[in-house]
Amino acid sequence: MIQQLFRLKIALLVVLSIMLMVQPSLAAIETVAAQNDDVVWTAPGQEKARQRAQQIIPMVDKVKEEGPIRRSQRLHATELSIKDAKNTYFLLDSPFIKAQEDHYGPVRFNHGQHAAASGDCSICHHLRPADNSSYIGDSNHPETVRCSACHQQAFHPDYPERLGLKAAYHQSCTPCHQQQNKGPVTCSGCHLNKVPEHKQLVKLPEKPDALQVTAECLRCHEDEANDMLHTAHWQWRGPSGHTQDHSREIRHGKGTTALNNY
Amino acid sequence: MQLKRRSFFKLAAVGAATAISTPRSALAWQSKAPADAFGCLMDISRCIGCRKCEQACNAVNELPLPVRPFDDLSVFDEKRRPDATKFTVVNRYHSGRVDDDKGLPVADFVKIQCMHCQDPACVSACITGAMSKKSNGAVHYDADKCIGCRYCMVACPFEIPAYEYHNPLTPKVMKCTLCETLLSEQNKPPACATICPTEAITFGKRSTLLKLAKKRLHDNPGRYVDHVYGEKEVGGTSWLYLSNVPFAKLGFLKLPLKPLPRLPETLQHSLFSYLWSPALLFTLLGGVMYRNHKQQTLQHPEQPGDVS
Repeated sequence: MIQQLFRLKIALLVVLSIMLMVQPSLAAIETVAAQNDDVVWTAPGQEKARQRAQQIIPMVDKVKEEGPIRRSQRLHATELSIKDAKNTYFLLDSPFIKAQEDHYGPVRFNHGQHAAASGDCSICHHLRPADNSSYIGDSNHPETVRCSACHQQAFHPDYPERLGLKAAYHQSCTPCHQQQNKGPVTCSGCHLNKVPEHKQLVKLPEKPDALQVTAECLRCHEDEANDMLHTAHWQWRGPSGHTQDHSREIRHGKGTTALNNY
Repeated sequence: MQLKRRSFFKLAAVGAATAISTPRSALAWQSKAPADAFGCLMDISRCIGCRKCEQACNAVNELPLPVRPFDDLSVFDEKRRPDATKFTVVNRYHSGRVDDDKGLPVADFVKIQCMHCQDPACVSACITGAMSKKSNGAVHYDADKCIGCRYCMVACPFEIPAYEYHNPLTPKVMKCTLCETLLSEQNKPPACATICPTEAITFGKRSTLLKLAKKRLHDNPGRYVDHVYGEKEVGGTSWLYLSNVPFAKLGFLKLPLKPLPRLPETLQHSLFSYLWSPALLFTLLGGVMYRNHKQQTLQHPEQPGDVS
């Protein structure tokens, strides 16, 4: 009995790990498990973020010319802070980029997290419109307009020196992530590839057991499963510095006493 | 009898006088560069070597898929050239640049494709007019006119045009088209420029791009080498390059600043205008023959023409 439970536990762990790796299909598998219930989990504020991503605001014609240091000081003096940010969760999925190409799903961007980590709005909000009146948008303040207020379509003949929105994102995000040694720097780190709807692909009996679910995942995701065998999810062992009060006690793990049953 | 030294000089003098007296205006070589051409500016300091441009080019031009996929970055281990199956390639160079923080060598990436010269040598060399420079800037290849002589491949200073040697029946010269169809039919930039995630390739009018390049040089002192490759090389090209590393270290050729067709076309057009040079040549030869014949008959008047 105990052995059975143990095996079930391990199987569940395998399923969970694979689900974590194949995030986009998570919702679909959950749905199937819930016997074709159409409720799909979404992040809080997802719909609003999606709507915001579709907004097109008039392009800022002229920007105030000032150096980065002056800009940073002036922005500091306005006492704008993270508390003034209305929204924290954004989806980067602009029609400006979609008009040219459509290779990736939206990128999830946590504005609050970035604002808190950097502490200096001028790192991303590097310039502002030349005058307040020229900007009509939903931002609280013309000092911190959104990226697409200035960066819109690429190769704009009237603003040749201005980067398009896609390049503005990449040129701003990637080097900073590299310098800070934080955040994703590869393509798939931010972009999820377009994943087909798994509802039709997953074929399971009425009440599947855990191993059947795992086997069904592995039917297509064999490479991912093999990769997982080399990760901490499979090989973990020994004490964990993150387990309060028990940091030195955890001696068991898949790499030590537990059995890898797969 | 041989031509006497004095007679030879006389004839040569006549020839030279004719050549000099031909009106100069008819000979003066004029550039046929389109005034309002499109082009691309590649900023090497922005390129991250993701090979997305190669992938987009492959898809748009319906070229065969390569053996090694586009996300395989180990292709950078060797220098590649565009060929019949790829119109553009990105190569990696280690110029000795070192990362300030980590102390590791930093790579630079250079994209190669047809430069779409303003006065292309391939167009000048093509004997059937299969190669032509369009007003939109593209150096266009018309397979229907091509006879496969491959003079264009010999003439190109960048060694770009490739040939479908594997195709015995309908071989074509293969090279970047500047995505002419996209440009003319959908008013879209070339696929490589559109896909580039960092806008390392900027598309626009060549004149605008030149101004933009100069502005970038001016606004970012110390970032770039003070040179826009393609502004003057071989009389100017539609593809322009900015670099943060000396161009010579990145495989760029040091090329003459004059348009390459200038010298051969000047020579050819001055020699063959109104067919004066062949006319003169045959007149001279005729004169020599006549003179020789006359002298022969004078020396041996008793011998008739036929021996019998």
